Order: sequence, then C-alpha cells, then structure tokens
Amino acid sequence: MSEVATRSLSFEVKDITLRFGGVVSLRDVSLEMRRGEILAVIGPNGAGKTSLFNSLTGVYQPQEGTITFWPSEGASISVIGKKAHRIARAGVSRTFQASRLFSALTVFENVKIGAEDHNGLGLVGSLVKGPRTRHAEKVSDEVVVDLLEFVGLSNEANLVASQLSYGGRRRLEIARALATKPEVILLDEPAAGTNPSEKLELTSLIRRVRDERHVGVLLIEHDMKLVMSLAERLYVLNFGSVIAEGSPEEIRANQSVIDAYLGSSHEDASN
Amino acid sequence: MGFEHFWLSGFDQVHAAFWRYLEVGLQNGAVYAMIAVGYTLVYGVLGLINFAHGEVFMCGGFAGVFLTRGILGDRVATGWGSVGLVIAGMIIGGLVSAAVAIGVERVAYKPLRQRNAPKLAFLISAIGASYFLQTLAGKEFGYGVNIFPGAVFEPGKVMFTMFGTQIDTIAVVCVIAAVVMLVAADRIVRATKLGRGIRAVSQDAETASLMGVNIESTIMITFILGGALAGAAGFLYSLNSGIVQNAGTEIGIYAFTAAVLGGIGNLRGAALGGLFIGLFQSFSVPFSFEGNVQWTEIYTFLILVLVLIIRPTGILGEKSGRTA
Amino acid sequence: MSLISPANLRRLFWIWVILAIVAVMTGTSGNNSTPPTTGVHGSFMERVSFFGLFATWRWLLFVALGVIIWLISSAYRPRARQIHHGVDAFMALPRRLTAKRSTRLILMALALILALVVPKFIHESFWMYLIVEQIGVWVLLALGLNVVVGFAGLLDLGFAAFYAIGAYVTAWFTGALPMPALFHHPIPTLWVIPLGIVAAMIFGVVLGTPTLRLRGDYLAIVTLGFALIIDDFVETQSGVTGGGLGTSPVPHPVLNLGFFHFRWGLSPTPYYYLCLVFIIIFLAIFTSLEHSHVGRAWVAIREDEVAAESVGINPLKYKVMAFAVGAASGGFGGVLTGGLVGIINPGLFTYQVSVNVLVLVIFGGMGSIWGVALGTIVIQTVTSYLDNYQPWGYQINDLYMYIGALLIVMMIFRPAGLLPSRRRAREFAAAEGGEEIHTDEVLTGEQP
Repeated sequence: MSEVATRSLSFEVKDITLRFGGVVSLRDVSLEMRRGEILAVIGPNGAGKTSLFNSLTGVYQPQEGTITFWPSEGASISVIGKKAHRIARAGVSRTFQASRLFSALTVFENVKIGAEDHNGLGLVGSLVKGPRTRHAEKVSDEVVVDLLEFVGLSNEANLVASQLSYGGRRRLEIARALATKPEVILLDEPAAGTNPSEKLELTSLIRRVRDERHVGVLLIEHDMKLVMSLAERLYVLNFGSVIAEGSPEEIRANQSVIDAYLGSSHEDASN
Repeated sequence: MGFEHFWLSGFDQVHAAFWRYLEVGLQNGAVYAMIAVGYTLVYGVLGLINFAHGEVFMCGGFAGVFLTRGILGDRVATGWGSVGLVIAGMIIGGLVSAAVAIGVERVAYKPLRQRNAPKLAFLISAIGASYFLQTLAGKEFGYGVNIFPGAVFEPGKVMFTMFGTQIDTIAVVCVIAAVVMLVAADRIVRATKLGRGIRAVSQDAETASLMGVNIESTIMITFILGGALAGAAGFLYSLNSGIVQNAGTEIGIYAFTAAVLGGIGNLRGAALGGLFIGLFQSFSVPFSFEGNVQWTEIYTFLILVLVLIIRPTGILGEKSGRTA
Repeated sequence: MSLISPANLRRLFWIWVILAIVAVMTGTSGNNSTPPTTGVHGSFMERVSFFGLFATWRWLLFVALGVIIWLISSAYRPRARQIHHGVDAFMALPRRLTAKRSTRLILMALALILALVVPKFIHESFWMYLIVEQIGVWVLLALGLNVVVGFAGLLDLGFAAFYAIGAYVTAWFTGALPMPALFHHPIPTLWVIPLGIVAAMIFGVVLGTPTLRLRGDYLAIVTLGFALIIDDFVETQSGVTGGGLGTSPVPHPVLNLGFFHFRWGLSPTPYYYLCLVFIIIFLAIFTSLEHSHVGRAWVAIREDEVAAESVGINPLKYKVMAFAVGAASGGFGGVLTGGLVGIINPGLFTYQVSVNVLVLVIFGGMGSIWGVALGTIVIQTVTSYLDNYQPWGYQINDLYMYIGALLIVMMIFRPAGLLPSRRRAREFAAAEGGEEIHTDEVLTGEQP
C-alpha cells in the first residue's frame, strides 16, 4: 500500500483472531478506520466488541493477524505485542464500558494524570521542584482547565470523581482520555446508563471531539439512535466476526444485520 | 572436587536409598495435596488466597492428636484398633478444621465481602486470622515443642519390605487415606449438585446467582470441604511428626506452592502439585550443601517464586472460566 | 420492646461468645505436658480477687460482664443511630481538626519540639534505647512500607529484606562480616549510610522488576517466598554472613569533620537524634512524592491498573519506583540498627518482622504518612510496655494473638486506619458504596 493511501487511515486491522483457551472471541476480523472519521462498531451482546477494543489498545494480544496504527506523523506502529501504555502514548486513547475513573482523586486530578508526561523517571523532579518541574505542572494544569471547560465540568473540578452524576463521569472519562493528546479516541458504550438529556449532551460532545479537537472517534454503542445519528460508517460484529460494513443507511438495509439483531440462531448468523 | 563432587554424592545417596526417599516424598506429598485442594477450592470460589488455611490444617492436627491421646493414654493400638483410630482421628480432625474454616470465613471474610471491600483488606484480614489462630494454639497447647500422639501404631512399625526398603505403616496409611479423600473430593466437585454449585460460582459468580445458586451457602460448603480435607491431613501429618503451633505456616506455604504449581483453581492440579512438591523435597535432601536441611526449603521456595514469575497459571493451567 | 425478645437474647448469646474468646485470650496458658484443656479450664476457673470482692470463678465474672454489656447495649439500642453518628464524628475528628494548613503546621512544629525534648525526660538509658530501637527504627520501616502498600497498593510481605540489606551492607563495608570488607578496607559506619540506602534501592529494583508484574495476592506470596529464601540463605552462609550466630560487632559511627569530632557510643541518645534527622528527611521526601505526579500515578495504578495504562502510565515502572523508594528508608533502618545493635543476626529480619511492619502501616492508616508515624509510636510503645512489665498475666508470646485480632477488627471496622489518608478513605467509601472496583479484573493471568 502506498504511503499516501495509508496516511488517510488511522487504524488498519487485518484478519485478527483472538482466543481465550478454547473460546474464540474474535475471528478473522478486518477493519479500517479513516483519519478523523466517526466510526462505530455495533453488534449484539457478546459479539466481541469490547474484545476488539481491548485488542486495539494493547490490553489483549490477538494470536493471529496484524493491527497497524498510523499516526499523522512518524512511522506506523504495530499494535500487537505492545503494552497498553505504549499504545496510549502513541496516540490511541480510550474510555471503558463501566466508567473506570480514579474514584479517590478529584475531577481535576483525574484529568491531570492523563495530561502529565509519564515518560521520564520524574523522581528527582518530584522531590526538588525546580523550574522545569514547575513549568511542566503549569502546562498540564492549563491542559486540564481547558479540557474541563470543553466537557463542561469546570464547576465540578474539585469534587471527588465518585461524587459526579453518571453523565458527569462519562464526560470526565472523555476528558481524561483527551488529556493524553490522542489522535484516535475509542469510546466503549459512552452513553450506557445515562438519561435521555445526558445522552443528547454526550452526542454533541462526541461530535465536538472530532470537529473541534480533530480526534478520530471509534465508538461502541448499543443505542441505535445515537449510533445512527453520530457515525459516518459502521461495522457490525456478530459472534466475533464482521458481518457487515457501510454507511448507516446501508447497515439499516442489510439483511444479515437484521437477522443478527432479531436473534436468529447461531448457525445462520455466523455463516 | 567441589561442586561436581557435591552432585555426585547427592546422586549416590539417591541411588542408595531411592525407595526410602520415594516413601517419604509420597507421604508428605499426600499431606500437601490434601491441603492444596483447600487453597484451590477457595481461590476458585472467592478469588482469594486463604492465608489462614495453614492454620486450619494445624487445628485439625491438634484435634486428632488430642483425640488419640485421650483414647489411648499410654497404651498402643494394634490391628483393627489402629485402623479405627486413624479413621476417627481423620474425622475429628476434619470436623474441627471445618469448624475453624467456617469460623475464619464468618469472622474474617464475610463482613468484608458484604461491604465489598478491596482485595487488600481480605488479605490483611486473612493474615490476622492466621496469626490469631497460631498464637492461640500456642498459648493453649504450648509453643515450640511437638506433641506426639500416643502411639496409634507401634513407633516405626514396618508394614512390609519392598526393594530392600522397609516401608512404614504410617506412610502406607497416609497415602491410602489421602487417595481416598482426594478421589472423594474430586467426585463431590465434579459429580454432585454441591459440586456443580462450586464450579458454577468459580466460573462466574454473578451468572451462577442469577441461575439460582446460593452463593453464600456455596462459599460455606467450599470452606467446609477444604477445611475437612486440611483437618484430615493435619491428623495424618501429626501421626508422623506430631504437631506444632506454627506448623501451618511452613506446611501451608508448601501446599500453596503445590496449588500454584498445579494451576490455582484446578483441583486435580493441586493434588498432583502436592505430590510433586512432596517428592521434590524428599529428593532434594541429598542435595543440601553441607547437609544443611534449610536447602530443601530454599529449593521449594525457589519453585514457588519461579512458577509465579514465569508461569503464574501453573503447569496444568488455570481454569479459564474467568476469561471473557 | 421487651428485653427478652429473641433478637435481644441472640445478642446476649453473641456477647457471651465474644467474651468467652476474650476470657481465653486473657486467661492462663497451657503447655505441652498438661492435658490440652488446662489453658481453657484455667481461663474460666481461675480465682479472681478484685480487691477481695470477687473471690469467685472467672467465668462468673465474664457472664456478669456479658449481662452488663447486654443491658447497657439494650438500653441504648433505640438510640443506635445517634450513637453511630457520634462515633463517626469522633472518628473523623482528627481529619476535621487538621483540615486547615495552619493547624497542621502548628501540630507539626509541636511534634518536632516534643521529639527534640524527649531525651530530656527519659533518664534511663534502657528506655532511651528502646525508643530508638523499637520506635525510631520501626517508624523508618513503616514509612518505607507505607510507600509500597499505602501509596502504590502493593502488598509486600517481605519488606524486612530491605532492612536486612541495609544492615548486612553496613556489616560488610565496616568489616564486621566473616568475609573481608569490600576492597579489604573497612570504612566508617557513618559513610555507609548512603551506601546502605543505595544498596537497598538497587535490591528493590532487582527484586521488583520480575515480581511486580504479578497481580496483588500473587505478589504477596512471591515477596514472602523471596523473604523466606533470603532468611534461609543468610543462615546457611555462615562463611559469608556469620550465619545464625550473627556478625562481629559493627563499629559505632564516628563523625569527624576535623574541627568537630563526635562518636556515637553506648549512649542511645545520639542515635536518637541521628534517627530523628533521617525520619524528618524521609517524611519530607515521602510527603512531597505523594503530591507529585509520581504520587498521582501510584494512586491511579492502585485503583485501576487498566485505566492507568490507558492514559499512558507504565504500571511496572511506577511499581518498581515504589519498591525502590520504600526500600530506601528500610535500608537506612538497617544501617542504623547495625550501628546501634552492633551484632547483626538473621533473627532481626524474619517474616514476622515484615508482618509487624505491615501491621503498623495498617493500624496507622495505609497511605497516611502521619497516621503511620503516629500508629507506629502507639503500637510500639504499647508492645514495649507489655513486653517489659507483662501486666495482668500477659506473656510475650501473646502479642501476635492480639495483633491478629487487631488486624481483623481493623479490617472490619476501620480499614483506612487510625488517621486515614484522604484518598484511601475515599477509596474504601467508594467501594462500600457499591462502586465497582476493577483492580482484580486485570486479566494478567489469562493473557492468551
């Protein structure tokens, strides 16, 4: 593939297979994510969506296939075999299905952890607060203030994370993920458990993440209305395999997708 | 000279007394296997290393010892009397240990579980329970010195001679009793309704409870089963070595090593692991530098550390129920 | 409500059960030669006098005590909620009082002044010695373990290994080991301090790099395994370490600045000040680390390792760092013990020592630097007192029974410790509020 063509992609997943013992979680999954698009992965429960996310972020290591991440600058990165924190630093950030905030820290600190540079050792700098440390602190504080404003949590900055409402936690998680300055953000059911008005807020927030922050969004979501209104393209997973790919309109009309969602039998869906 | 000589002399000793080492190894291995099963079962159900399990074993040992003492006094049992005493001792040891195990569960774990406490809290509480039981036993029954039971068998009684080695009755009894108990435990877990509950909770507690398994009573049964095995093991162990207030620490760690080796959560693995550790220790005795028996401990702990670092799922593999 | 309702009677029963356990715990000890029930029997049948008022059996006393407690608790039952609130408010008092920075500074200044003048009030060298050996050194150890357990959330059951490294390195460099000192040239004890600290830190990195990949309970076991290996190894290597008998005496430290010459001799007071200086240094270092990005990264890892990784934190790096930083103060504790005690033997660094340090950290409050320091002073004072005076039939061996009970009771009623750290208290509260804790879902063991 030529360099020019590939640069238009952020992620290229080729034929990955992920097994746990005898259980196949993902089977020959291929997927392409274009730079700066809002892409959604849908599918029934247990279809392997979260496994796919975990594979893309280095939490799981698929046994077969390749996953390539193309940053806007610099060399491409082969995801499989890399540790999750390396992937995160390379520009792939994520949120979790059940929000996993640091509940003992304040809202501000939660985002600050993401904004801080965890590359060096930082031991001496933390002890002797020299000009460099102070400058770094100032920079990360500014990032945090900016992001909290972006997600609308400025007034809650000093609350403990566990005191936030469900929607607030979702937004905080997005802010924390953005703090690492990602090129792609993976959102695992960002609207789960939120009420309708929070859902609307989240929808517009996700769109703003892409439009204002220029971060590509890969989304898993159960709420079809939200997915169809947000996503520009969709992949449908069922029993660990991709059964369809296309625009929201195409997916809506796809017979195998309808079958999968209507809960037809295993044989039908996987064939 | 030096190292080469050390190895050669070690192998010479093994060669000279192979069957003796095998006997001792199997005898200890049987005990380790029975304790290891308790670690493995509780880990399966609660995802928790029961640090106090060694003390559960120790309590069974004391109970069995006192029972035989009370019945025998200064006499020596013979023939069917011995067999009856061994069975009685294992039952009493098992009952007392099961009771202690339930006590530990109710006092040290259940309140924390109900509060959904972090795992660190369980570990600390378990260490507390272990200290408490160990020291209480020491306070009541004395520290340091072993308490030997009245002779259930004439001391050093030889059952038969095999390959020129005299096999002790106690060793034979230990191995047979352990095999019976372990097979029974395996059957219970694999083939009964109780066992189905245990396996279901081990795989996925949430789904199990949705499907009508009573989690609390399953936990209780697991502790009873593990405790009973450990108690019986305690009695068998004390037949040979007597029992010490702190026996649980050392033997407990050996048995835990066995459970890890067999893949914690895996019942058969734990039993095999126990056997392996017993044999390994026995055969490592001739390879102790300057005849220092501490080396067998060092070797065993090295196995523990290396298995955990290199292959924490154990040789036979962790039960993969928790994966997806 | 009737006093004799089933629920009330059940409570009486449990009060009696608890008191029976207390009666056995505080009662007579048995031994190997008497029948097994001697201890239990004696615990209930022993004659108690109470100024001659109760010339009766002990069990009557406990039965009566049970009834009294039962009656009191029954009377206050309707107001249980209020009492709960009162207790909670009382427990939260230390935190509320120290909420202001100025109050905290004043308290710190007072503590410092108190610490400085303590030797003026302790005239017996025996007690002064105990203060350094039993409190000073243990504060250092507890502060170090607090970094590992409290900050990074890693249960290390082999912390005494770092203590041992500090001590044996001291012995080595000062020429107190059977094997010759490095470069065959013993150096003064005082100059070993940095070497001991660095050696312990290096050991922390060496030990931590392979082991810290493991999840929580496995880590506890593996650190325990290493501690036991080191224990046994030191004893078998009598040619190197002096074995179970110990080393030759480590020389007392000497400070020689040309114009100023000072020798730490047999008097414990100078050691006290040396120890105090280092405690203050470590307090300052650990406090500043807690509030740095390193401290935040530790919280992130201990709360949710997967989430921490997702923001680019390398858990292994920060865990190893916690091990090394914690080892530093443990190592210094070892050097100090070397200078103070002189002869170093493996008995100083057993598994029990590791657990004791852990108890101090938990009692004081995991992650709370001041709590740990205060908790150490309280526990070590009480145990030193008990060991030396043995009141009410207390025996030295009984200590671990009480410690075990204390650990369980703390985990049930006050898991965050005496002076809880703000962050830790929130974590426990969040967990109890039904917040999901994800730490254990990390699929490290099941990586395909």
